Amino acid sequence: MDVSRRKFIQISGATAAGVAVSHLGFDLRPVKAHAQMLKTQYAKETTTICCYCGVGCGAIVHTSRRGDGRVINIEGDPEHVINRGALCSKGSALKQLTENTNRLTEPMYRAPGASEWRQVSWDWAIDQIARRVKETRDAAFEVKNDKGQTVNRTTAIASVGSAAMDNEECWLYQALLRAMGLVYVEHQARI
Amino acid sequence: MAKAFFIDTTLCTACRACQVACKQWHDLPAEETQNLGTHQNPPDLSDKTYKLVRMNERVIDGQLRWLFFPEQCRHCIEAPCLEALGDPAAIYRDPDTGAILYTRQTAQYDADAIIESCPYNIPRKGADGSVYKCDMCNDRVHNGLLPACVQACPTGAMNFGERDAMLEMANQRLAVVKAKYPQAMLLDPEYVSVIYLAAFPPENYHEFAIASRTPVGVTRHMALRKMVRPFAAALSRLG
Repeated sequence: MDVSRRKFIQISGATAAGVAVSHLGFDLRPVKAHAQMLKTQYAKETTTICCYCGVGCGAIVHTSRRGDGRVINIEGDPEHVINRGALCSKGSALKQLTENTNRLTEPMYRAPGASEWRQVSWDWAIDQIARRVKETRDAAFEVKNDKGQTVNRTTAIASVGSAAMDNEECWLYQALLRAMGLVYVEHQARI
Repeated sequence: MAKAFFIDTTLCTACRACQVACKQWHDLPAEETQNLGTHQNPPDLSDKTYKLVRMNERVIDGQLRWLFFPEQCRHCIEAPCLEALGDPAAIYRDPDTGAILYTRQTAQYDADAIIESCPYNIPRKGADGSVYKCDMCNDRVHNGLLPACVQACPTGAMNFGERDAMLEMANQRLAVVKAKYPQAMLLDPEYVSVIYLAAFPPENYHEFAIASRTPVGVTRHMALRKMVRPFAAALSRLG
Protein backbone atom coordinates (compact mmCIF):
# COMPACT_ATOMS: atom_id res chain seq x y z
CA MET A 1 0.00 0.00 0.00
CA ASP A 2 1.81 3.03 -1.28
CA VAL A 3 0.47 6.00 0.64
CA SER A 4 2.53 8.50 2.53
CA ARG A 5 2.30 8.31 6.28
CA ARG A 6 0.62 11.68 6.44
CA LYS A 7 -2.04 10.54 3.96
CA PHE A 8 -2.56 7.47 6.07
CA ILE A 9 -3.48 9.60 9.03
CA GLN A 10 -6.10 11.30 6.89
CA ILE A 11 -7.44 7.97 5.64
CA SER A 12 -7.73 6.59 9.15
CA GLY A 13 -9.61 9.74 10.16
CA ALA A 14 -12.13 9.18 7.39
CA THR A 15 -12.47 5.53 8.35
CA ALA A 16 -13.14 6.51 11.94
CA ALA A 17 -16.01 8.71 10.77
CA GLY A 18 -17.36 5.80 8.69
CA VAL A 19 -17.21 3.50 11.68
CA ALA A 20 -19.14 6.00 13.79
CA VAL A 21 -21.96 6.12 11.23
CA SER A 22 -22.13 2.37 10.77
CA HIS A 23 -22.70 1.63 14.43
CA LEU A 24 -26.45 2.17 14.22
CA GLY A 25 -26.38 4.60 17.07
CA PHE A 26 -24.28 2.48 19.44
CA ASP A 27 -21.24 4.08 20.95
CA LEU A 28 -18.41 1.62 20.58
CA ARG A 29 -15.86 3.66 22.51
CA PRO A 30 -14.38 1.34 25.08
CA VAL A 31 -16.25 1.62 28.35
CA LYS A 32 -13.42 1.30 30.82
CA ALA A 33 -12.84 2.36 34.34
CA HIS A 34 -10.19 4.99 33.83
CA ALA A 35 -9.64 5.70 37.50
CA GLN A 36 -6.01 4.71 37.67
CA MET A 37 -4.20 4.04 40.90
CA LEU A 38 -0.67 5.32 41.39
CA LYS A 39 1.99 2.87 42.50
CA THR A 40 2.71 5.41 45.24
CA GLN A 41 -0.92 5.54 46.43
CA TYR A 42 -0.32 3.99 49.86
CA ALA A 43 3.37 4.78 50.18
CA LYS A 44 4.98 6.85 52.89
CA GLU A 45 6.42 10.14 51.60
CA THR A 46 9.72 11.52 52.88
CA THR A 47 11.67 14.46 51.50
CA THR A 48 15.40 14.32 50.89
CA ILE A 49 18.20 16.16 49.12
CA CYS A 50 19.84 14.56 46.08
CA CYS A 51 23.30 13.34 47.01
CA TYR A 52 24.98 13.63 43.64
CA CYS A 53 26.17 17.22 43.18
CA GLY A 54 26.33 20.64 44.79
CA VAL A 55 23.05 21.95 43.34
CA GLY A 56 21.05 20.32 46.15
CA CYS A 57 17.83 19.35 44.39
CA GLY A 58 14.91 18.29 46.58
CA ALA A 59 13.33 14.89 46.04
CA ILE A 60 10.41 12.90 47.42
CA VAL A 61 11.06 9.30 48.45
CA HIS A 62 8.10 6.92 48.41
CA THR A 63 8.62 3.88 50.64
CA SER A 64 6.45 0.86 51.22
CA ARG A 65 4.34 0.70 54.37
CA ARG A 66 4.23 -3.08 54.19
CA GLY A 67 6.97 -3.39 56.76
CA ASP A 68 9.94 -3.95 54.48
CA GLY A 69 10.23 -0.19 53.92
CA ARG A 70 11.66 -0.66 50.42
CA VAL A 71 11.78 2.31 48.07
CA ILE A 72 8.97 2.36 45.49
CA ASN A 73 9.75 5.64 43.78
CA ILE A 74 11.98 8.72 44.05
CA GLU A 75 11.15 11.81 42.05
CA GLY A 76 11.79 15.56 42.12
CA ASP A 77 9.92 17.55 44.77
CA PRO A 78 7.70 20.08 42.95
CA GLU A 79 7.63 22.26 46.07
CA HIS A 80 11.41 22.44 46.44
CA VAL A 81 12.71 25.93 45.79
CA ILE A 82 15.84 24.86 43.94
CA ASN A 83 14.59 22.37 41.37
CA ARG A 84 10.78 22.72 41.46
CA GLY A 85 10.28 19.06 40.63
CA ALA A 86 13.00 18.70 38.02
CA LEU A 87 15.96 16.32 38.30
CA CYS A 88 18.82 15.42 35.96
CA SER A 89 19.38 11.90 34.68
CA LYS A 90 21.46 10.94 37.73
CA GLY A 91 18.92 12.38 40.14
CA SER A 92 16.13 10.62 38.28
CA ALA A 93 17.93 7.32 38.96
CA LEU A 94 18.21 7.89 42.74
CA LYS A 95 16.04 4.87 43.49
CA GLN A 96 18.85 2.63 42.29
CA LEU A 97 20.94 3.60 45.30
CA THR A 98 18.89 1.03 47.18
CA GLU A 99 16.74 -0.87 44.67
CA ASN A 100 19.26 -2.41 42.32
CA THR A 101 20.27 -6.03 41.93
CA ASN A 102 23.80 -4.96 40.97
CA ARG A 103 24.40 -3.35 44.36
CA LEU A 104 27.09 -4.76 46.59
CA THR A 105 25.52 -5.82 49.87
CA GLU A 106 28.62 -7.30 51.52
CA PRO A 107 32.00 -5.64 52.08
CA MET A 108 34.70 -6.55 49.55
CA TYR A 109 38.42 -6.61 50.28
CA ARG A 110 41.40 -6.45 47.95
CA ALA A 111 44.64 -7.11 49.77
CA PRO A 112 47.76 -5.08 48.89
CA GLY A 113 49.22 -6.50 45.65
CA ALA A 114 46.23 -8.74 45.02
CA SER A 115 44.33 -8.55 41.75
CA GLU A 116 41.07 -10.05 42.96
CA TRP A 117 38.43 -8.78 45.33
CA ARG A 118 37.09 -11.18 47.92
CA GLN A 119 34.02 -11.01 50.11
CA VAL A 120 34.67 -10.51 53.81
CA SER A 121 32.47 -10.23 56.87
CA TRP A 122 31.25 -6.92 58.23
CA ASP A 123 32.93 -7.66 61.58
CA TRP A 124 36.29 -8.29 59.96
CA ALA A 125 36.03 -5.24 57.69
CA ILE A 126 35.02 -2.79 60.41
CA ASP A 127 37.68 -4.14 62.74
CA GLN A 128 40.34 -3.79 60.02
CA ILE A 129 39.27 -0.24 59.12
CA ALA A 130 39.33 0.84 62.79
CA ARG A 131 42.67 -0.82 63.39
CA ARG A 132 44.37 0.73 60.33
CA VAL A 133 42.89 4.18 60.84
CA LYS A 134 44.07 4.16 64.46
CA GLU A 135 47.56 2.92 63.59
CA THR A 136 48.04 5.43 60.75
CA ARG A 137 46.62 8.33 62.74
CA ASP A 138 48.70 7.63 65.82
CA ALA A 139 51.88 7.28 63.74
CA ALA A 140 51.35 10.50 61.77
CA PHE A 141 49.48 12.77 64.17
CA GLU A 142 50.85 16.33 64.41
CA VAL A 143 49.99 18.34 67.50
CA LYS A 144 51.95 21.42 66.38
CA ASN A 145 53.22 22.56 62.98
CA ASP A 146 56.72 23.91 62.11
CA LYS A 147 55.81 27.34 63.45
CA GLY A 148 54.73 25.89 66.77
CA GLN A 149 51.03 26.52 66.16
CA THR A 150 48.55 23.95 67.50
CA VAL A 151 47.06 22.01 64.55
CA ASN A 152 46.02 18.58 65.91
CA ARG A 153 45.93 17.00 62.46
CA THR A 154 46.95 14.03 60.40
CA THR A 155 47.90 14.40 56.75
CA ALA A 156 48.45 10.64 56.33
CA ILE A 157 44.77 9.85 55.72
CA ALA A 158 42.46 11.34 53.11
CA SER A 159 38.75 10.82 52.47
CA VAL A 160 37.50 10.98 48.90
CA GLY A 161 34.03 10.05 47.65
CA SER A 162 30.87 9.33 49.62
CA ALA A 163 28.78 10.15 46.54
CA ALA A 164 25.83 8.07 47.67
CA MET A 165 25.46 9.70 51.08
CA ASP A 166 22.70 12.19 51.75
CA ASN A 167 23.11 15.52 53.49
CA GLU A 168 22.73 14.26 57.05
CA GLU A 169 24.99 11.26 56.55
CA CYS A 170 27.64 13.57 55.11
CA TRP A 171 27.48 15.80 58.19
CA LEU A 172 27.98 12.84 60.51
CA TYR A 173 30.79 11.49 58.35
CA GLN A 174 32.75 14.73 58.11
CA ALA A 175 32.28 15.34 61.86
CA LEU A 176 33.92 11.96 62.47
CA LEU A 177 36.76 12.75 60.08
CA ARG A 178 37.42 16.19 61.61
CA ALA A 179 37.40 14.66 65.08
CA MET A 180 40.15 12.31 63.96
CA GLY A 181 42.16 15.24 62.62
CA LEU A 182 41.79 14.70 58.87
CA VAL A 183 42.25 17.77 56.72
CA TYR A 184 42.01 16.15 53.30
CA VAL A 185 38.23 15.71 53.17
CA GLU A 186 36.69 15.71 49.71
CA HIS A 187 33.22 14.93 48.47
CA GLN A 188 31.51 14.18 45.16
CA ALA A 189 29.38 17.32 45.53
CA ARG A 190 32.50 19.52 45.08
CA ILE A 191 33.68 17.78 41.94
CA MET B 1 -10.35 17.68 27.68
CA ALA B 2 -7.49 16.17 25.72
CA LYS B 3 -3.97 16.73 26.96
CA ALA B 4 -0.87 17.47 24.92
CA PHE B 5 2.89 17.70 25.22
CA PHE B 6 4.94 20.54 23.84
CA ILE B 7 8.60 19.59 23.38
CA ASP B 8 10.93 22.46 22.53
CA THR B 9 14.02 20.78 21.10
CA THR B 10 15.88 24.11 21.10
CA LEU B 11 15.90 23.98 24.92
CA CYS B 12 16.90 20.30 25.14
CA THR B 13 20.43 19.67 26.43
CA ALA B 14 20.18 15.87 26.05
CA CYS B 15 20.67 15.34 29.78
CA ARG B 16 18.30 12.35 29.40
CA ALA B 17 16.50 13.04 32.66
CA CYS B 18 13.23 12.33 30.82
CA GLN B 19 14.55 8.99 29.60
CA VAL B 20 15.65 7.89 33.07
CA ALA B 21 12.55 9.27 34.82
CA CYS B 22 10.40 7.27 32.39
CA LYS B 23 12.29 4.06 33.21
CA GLN B 24 12.13 4.84 36.90
CA TRP B 25 8.38 5.42 37.02
CA HIS B 26 7.58 2.39 34.87
CA ASP B 27 10.05 0.13 36.74
CA LEU B 28 11.76 -0.82 33.49
CA PRO B 29 15.11 -2.61 33.63
CA ALA B 30 18.40 -1.42 32.18
CA GLU B 31 19.52 -2.65 28.78
CA GLU B 32 22.94 -4.07 28.11
CA THR B 33 24.47 -1.89 25.41
CA GLN B 34 27.85 -1.27 23.82
CA ASN B 35 29.71 1.89 22.91
CA LEU B 36 28.59 2.82 19.40
CA GLY B 37 30.44 6.13 19.30
CA THR B 38 27.43 8.19 20.32
CA HIS B 39 25.94 9.32 23.60
CA GLN B 40 22.57 8.08 22.31
CA ASN B 41 22.05 5.06 24.48
CA PRO B 42 20.34 2.62 24.23
CA PRO B 43 20.46 2.85 20.42
CA ASP B 44 16.70 2.49 19.89
CA LEU B 45 13.33 2.35 21.61
CA SER B 46 12.39 -1.05 22.98
CA ASP B 47 9.92 -2.82 25.24
CA LYS B 48 12.16 -1.60 28.07
CA THR B 49 12.73 1.96 26.77
CA TYR B 50 9.61 4.02 25.98
CA LYS B 51 11.43 7.33 25.80
CA LEU B 52 14.73 7.93 24.01
CA VAL B 53 16.76 11.08 23.42
CA ARG B 54 18.03 10.76 19.86
CA MET B 55 21.27 12.59 19.10
CA ASN B 56 22.57 13.53 15.67
CA GLU B 57 25.56 15.51 14.48
CA ARG B 58 24.69 17.46 11.33
CA VAL B 59 26.53 20.11 9.32
CA ILE B 60 23.89 22.70 8.41
CA ASP B 61 24.93 25.78 6.42
CA GLY B 62 28.58 25.03 7.11
CA GLN B 63 28.11 24.82 10.87
CA LEU B 64 28.20 21.70 13.04
CA ARG B 65 24.96 21.20 14.95
CA TRP B 66 24.38 18.60 17.62
CA LEU B 67 20.64 17.95 17.45
CA PHE B 68 18.63 16.35 20.24
CA PHE B 69 15.23 14.75 19.83
CA PRO B 70 13.51 13.36 22.95
CA GLU B 71 11.41 10.78 21.15
CA GLN B 72 8.21 9.15 22.40
CA CYS B 73 4.75 8.06 21.25
CA ARG B 74 2.88 11.02 19.71
CA HIS B 75 -0.55 9.87 20.96
CA CYS B 76 -2.03 10.71 17.55
CA ILE B 77 -5.44 12.39 17.55
CA GLU B 78 -6.58 9.82 14.95
CA ALA B 79 -4.16 7.06 15.78
CA PRO B 80 -3.38 4.78 12.81
CA CYS B 81 -2.40 1.90 15.12
CA LEU B 82 -5.73 2.05 16.92
CA GLU B 83 -7.77 2.48 13.75
CA ALA B 84 -5.94 -0.25 11.87
CA LEU B 85 -6.17 -2.84 14.64
CA GLY B 86 -9.77 -2.11 15.58
CA ASP B 87 -9.77 -3.97 18.90
CA PRO B 88 -10.37 -1.71 21.91
CA ALA B 89 -9.29 -4.52 24.21
CA ALA B 90 -5.77 -4.25 22.75
CA ILE B 91 -5.40 -0.60 21.75
CA TYR B 92 -7.73 2.10 23.00
CA ARG B 93 -7.90 5.81 23.56
CA ASP B 94 -8.54 7.29 26.98
CA PRO B 95 -11.28 9.83 26.22
CA ASP B 96 -10.28 11.96 29.21
CA THR B 97 -6.61 12.47 28.39
CA GLY B 98 -6.34 11.46 24.74
CA ALA B 99 -3.67 8.87 25.62
CA ILE B 100 -3.38 5.96 23.18
CA LEU B 101 -2.94 2.91 25.40
CA TYR B 102 -1.76 -0.62 24.60
CA THR B 103 -2.77 -3.61 26.68
CA ARG B 104 -1.41 -7.16 27.00
CA GLN B 105 -4.10 -8.14 24.48
CA THR B 106 -1.80 -6.80 21.75
CA ALA B 107 -0.08 -10.19 22.08
CA GLN B 108 -3.09 -11.68 20.23
CA TYR B 109 -2.09 -9.80 17.06
CA ASP B 110 0.83 -9.58 14.69
CA ALA B 111 3.22 -7.20 16.48
CA ASP B 112 5.02 -6.32 13.24
CA ALA B 113 1.75 -5.18 11.67
CA ILE B 114 1.03 -2.90 14.65
CA ILE B 115 4.54 -1.47 14.47
CA GLU B 116 4.25 -0.98 10.70
CA SER B 117 1.02 0.96 11.09
CA CYS B 118 2.75 3.63 13.20
CA PRO B 119 3.77 6.66 11.12
CA TYR B 120 6.45 7.47 13.71
CA ASN B 121 7.87 3.94 14.17
CA ILE B 122 7.33 3.93 17.95
CA PRO B 123 5.86 0.62 19.23
CA ARG B 124 8.20 -2.27 20.03
CA LYS B 125 7.52 -5.96 20.56
CA GLY B 126 8.27 -7.44 23.95
CA ALA B 127 9.47 -10.91 24.88
CA ASP B 128 5.91 -11.89 25.85
CA GLY B 129 4.64 -11.04 22.35
CA SER B 130 2.69 -7.95 23.35
CA VAL B 131 3.57 -4.49 22.12
CA TYR B 132 4.94 -1.71 24.30
CA LYS B 133 5.27 2.05 24.12
CA CYS B 134 4.80 5.31 26.07
CA ASP B 135 1.49 5.43 28.01
CA MET B 136 1.55 9.21 28.65
CA CYS B 137 1.92 8.27 32.35
CA ASN B 138 -1.87 8.05 32.23
CA ASP B 139 -1.98 6.99 35.90
CA ARG B 140 -0.07 10.11 36.95
CA VAL B 141 -2.13 12.40 34.73
CA HIS B 142 -5.39 11.06 36.19
CA ASN B 143 -4.05 11.86 39.65
CA GLY B 144 -3.07 15.42 38.84
CA LEU B 145 0.64 14.76 38.37
CA LEU B 146 2.76 15.59 35.34
CA PRO B 147 4.10 12.70 33.23
CA ALA B 148 7.42 11.56 34.73
CA CYS B 149 9.44 12.85 31.77
CA VAL B 150 7.90 16.32 31.92
CA GLN B 151 8.31 16.67 35.66
CA ALA B 152 11.98 15.66 35.48
CA CYS B 153 12.96 18.06 32.66
CA PRO B 154 15.30 20.70 34.14
CA THR B 155 15.36 23.05 31.12
CA GLY B 156 11.68 23.49 30.31
CA ALA B 157 12.03 21.66 26.98
CA MET B 158 9.25 19.24 28.00
CA ASN B 159 5.82 20.70 28.74
CA PHE B 160 2.41 19.14 29.37
CA GLY B 161 -1.10 20.46 29.77
CA GLU B 162 -4.39 21.11 28.02
CA ARG B 163 -4.07 20.89 24.26
CA ASP B 164 -5.13 24.49 23.66
CA ALA B 165 -2.58 25.82 26.13
CA MET B 166 0.20 23.68 24.65
CA LEU B 167 -0.61 24.82 21.10
CA GLU B 168 -0.54 28.42 22.25
CA MET B 169 2.79 27.89 23.99
CA ALA B 170 4.16 26.13 20.89
CA ASN B 171 3.18 29.00 18.58
CA GLN B 172 4.61 31.59 20.95
CA ARG B 173 7.92 29.74 21.19
CA LEU B 174 7.99 29.22 17.42
CA ALA B 175 7.73 32.98 16.87
CA VAL B 176 10.62 33.58 19.28
CA VAL B 177 12.81 30.77 17.93
CA LYS B 178 12.29 31.79 14.30
CA ALA B 179 14.27 34.97 14.91
CA LYS B 180 17.37 32.83 15.49
CA TYR B 181 16.45 29.78 13.38
CA PRO B 182 14.40 30.90 10.32
CA GLN B 183 13.73 27.25 9.33
CA ALA B 184 12.13 26.44 12.69
CA MET B 185 8.80 24.60 12.56
CA LEU B 186 6.28 22.65 14.62
CA LEU B 187 6.12 18.97 13.66
CA ASP B 188 2.64 17.73 12.66
CA PRO B 189 0.90 19.87 15.32
CA GLU B 190 -2.60 19.28 13.93
CA TYR B 191 -2.31 15.47 14.00
CA VAL B 192 -0.60 14.60 17.26
CA SER B 193 -0.71 15.21 21.00
CA VAL B 194 3.07 15.48 21.26
CA ILE B 195 4.07 18.66 19.46
CA TYR B 196 7.76 19.14 18.72
CA LEU B 197 9.43 22.42 17.91
CA ALA B 198 12.45 21.81 15.65
CA ALA B 199 15.01 24.47 14.76
CA PHE B 200 16.02 22.76 11.51
CA PRO B 201 14.23 20.61 8.89
CA PRO B 202 12.96 17.52 10.72
CA GLU B 203 14.89 14.92 8.70
CA ASN B 204 18.02 16.15 10.47
CA TYR B 205 16.67 14.90 13.80
CA HIS B 206 15.27 11.50 12.95
CA GLU B 207 13.96 9.57 9.97
CA PHE B 208 10.50 9.43 11.55
CA ALA B 209 10.42 12.88 13.15
CA ILE B 210 7.38 13.78 11.04
CA ALA B 211 4.79 11.49 9.49
CA SER B 212 5.18 12.23 5.81
CA ARG B 213 8.79 11.13 5.32
CA THR B 214 8.36 7.50 4.40
CA PRO B 215 5.68 5.30 2.90
CA VAL B 216 3.57 3.58 5.49
CA GLY B 217 3.55 -0.18 5.67
CA VAL B 218 0.04 -1.51 6.10
CA THR B 219 -0.14 -5.23 5.53
CA ARG B 220 -2.97 -6.64 3.44
CA HIS B 221 -4.25 -8.37 6.53
CA MET B 222 -4.48 -5.11 8.48
CA ALA B 223 -6.10 -3.30 5.54
CA LEU B 224 -8.66 -6.05 5.17
CA ARG B 225 -9.48 -6.08 8.88
CA LYS B 226 -10.01 -2.35 8.69
CA MET B 227 -12.38 -2.63 5.72
CA VAL B 228 -14.62 -5.35 7.11
CA ARG B 229 -14.61 -4.14 10.71
CA PRO B 230 -17.72 -1.87 10.51
CA PHE B 231 -19.79 -4.68 9.00
CA ALA B 232 -18.53 -7.24 11.48
CA ALA B 233 -19.38 -4.93 14.35
CA ALA B 234 -22.86 -4.28 12.99
CA LEU B 235 -23.51 -7.99 12.40
CA SER B 236 -22.38 -8.95 15.87
CA ARG B 237 -24.86 -6.47 17.32
CA LEU B 238 -27.72 -7.81 15.20
CA GLY B 239 -26.82 -11.39 16.03
